[in-house]
Amino acid sequence: MVLGISGYGVAVPRLRIKREDYAKAWGSFSAAGVNEKAVAGFDEDMLTLATKVGQRALDSVPLKPDKITRFAFASTTPPYTEKLLSGTILAGLGAPGETYTTDHTSSTRAGTEALLAGFEHLTGNPGGNALVAAADAPQASMWDAIEHGMGAGAAGFVLSGFALLAEFEGSSSVVSEHFGERFRPRDEQVTRDLNVKKFSEGSFVSNTTKAASALLKKLGRKPEDYAHVVIQQPDARAPASAAGKLGFQDPQLAAGMVSANLGDLGAASTPVGLAAALEASQVGDRILVVSYGSGAGSDALSFKVISDRKPAFTVSKETARKEYIDYVQYLKLKGAIR
Amino acid sequence: MAHVSVPMYWRTIPQRYRLVGLQCKKCGKVNFPPKGVCKYCNASSEFTEVRLSGRGKVHTFTLIGAGGAPPEFAEQEKAGGVYPVTIVELDEGPKVIGQMADVNPKDVKIGMPVRAELRRIYEEEGVVRYGFKFVPLEGGA
Repeated sequence: MVLGISGYGVAVPRLRIKREDYAKAWGSFSAAGVNEKAVAGFDEDMLTLATKVGQRALDSVPLKPDKITRFAFASTTPPYTEKLLSGTILAGLGAPGETYTTDHTSSTRAGTEALLAGFEHLTGNPGGNALVAAADAPQASMWDAIEHGMGAGAAGFVLSGFALLAEFEGSSSVVSEHFGERFRPRDEQVTRDLNVKKFSEGSFVSNTTKAASALLKKLGRKPEDYAHVVIQQPDARAPASAAGKLGFQDPQLAAGMVSANLGDLGAASTPVGLAAALEASQVGDRILVVSYGSGAGSDALSFKVISDRKPAFTVSKETARKEYIDYVQYLKLKGAIR
Repeated sequence: MAHVSVPMYWRTIPQRYRLVGLQCKKCGKVNFPPKGVCKYCNASSEFTEVRLSGRGKVHTFTLIGAGGAPPEFAEQEKAGGVYPVTIVELDEGPKVIGQMADVNPKDVKIGMPVRAELRRIYEEEGVVRYGFKFVPLEGGA
C-alpha cells in the first residue's frame, strides 16, 4: 500500500528579531545566512505550538481528531524534561486516549524520528492515521555564539494511505558516536557547544551525506532527480556543505531554506523545511529530506509529490505574519534577565 | 494569587483546552463554562457536550499594564508588556473572558473577529496551566 503525507500545517510565532539587533548588542551575529528569526511569545511553548500545527494538519485533510491512531511529538525544548508530553497535545485536540504516542526529544533529529515513527505505524496499520507534530525553539546561553541563530517554529503532518499529497518513497538512517557539539547535560537549562567548528562540521557532513547517499543508492536515484532537497539548518549555510558533497545545486536547496527568515528550528528544522518544499512543489516533483542530530545521527526521507492541494497555513503565510522586537525585549521574553 | 488546586484545574481541562460546553436539551442554548443547571432556562440539568468553534467577536476589553496584573500574570506583564483581557461573544452565544494574544494592544477593537487557541496561562507549583486565549481571526483557522 502506498503511504504518504495527507495534509500538513505550519505555525511560526509572530515575533521576530533582526540580525542587526544582535550586531548592535554584541558587535557581531554568528548565524551565517540568517537575516531574522522567529521568537516564541511569553505564553507559547512547544506543546501549544504542537497543538496548533496538529490542528492545522488535521484541518488541511480534513480529518477529525478521533480518527488519529498514532501520534508522535518532536522537540528538543519541551516544557518538562520528565512527564509525558503528548497527552497535553491530544487533550487540546480532542484525540482518543487510546492513541499510542511517543515523545522524541533528545536531539534535533527528533523531527524525522517522529515522521518515521508515523510511517512505521502505518506499515503495520495501513488503515490508520498518524499525526506528527514537531515544534522547537532551541535555547542556549545568551553568551554563546550558537544562541544567535536559534529561532522558533513548528510543522504538523497527517500521514496515511488516503488523500495523499506526497508519497513516501523510503528512508535511510545513520547513527554514529560524536560529542562536544550541541549537548545539554542533565540538569542544565540550555544547550552547550564546545565550538570546535571543524570537528562539528565533519560530523554534520559525514552523517548527513551517508544517510542521503544510502537512500539515493537504495532508490536508484541521482541528485538531479530531486526538485528540492531539505537539509538540517543550524544556520542558512550549513546545508550547502552537505548538499555540495552529494552533488546537489543551490537552487534545489532554495525552497526549503527556512532558516534565513526563521532561524534554527532545531527538531522542527527539517519538518518546516519539508512543508516549505511541499508548498513550492508541483505534481511529479521529488523532495529529499535529510535531518541531523548532534551526538550524532541523520535520517534521509524521500517523497514524491502527487497532488497540487495546498493547505491554509503554509510557511510563506506564517513567515509573512510578523512583528519586530528589539534585543532587550528578546532578553526579557527569553527570561535571560529577570 | 488566585489559587486553583491541581485537581480542580484538572477537572476543567475539556473546557479550558478545547472549549467543551454543554448544550441544554430543553432550550437548546449552550452553557459555557459548563453549568449544573441551564443558566438560560433554569429548567433543565440535561445537556449534550458540544465543542465550541472558538470563534467569536470582541464584546469588550481592557488593557492590563503598569503593574496592574494579578500575581500569576505579573511576570508575563514584565516580560511581554501590556496585555489585553477581553470578553468575547462566541459564535454559539456564550460570552467568555480571556486574554488576547498575538496582537498589538493598540489594535484591539470592539467587534473584531477572534478565535481561541491553546496557550500557557500561568505556572503554579512548577505546573504549567494551559488554557485558551483569543487571537485575531485574520489568518486564523
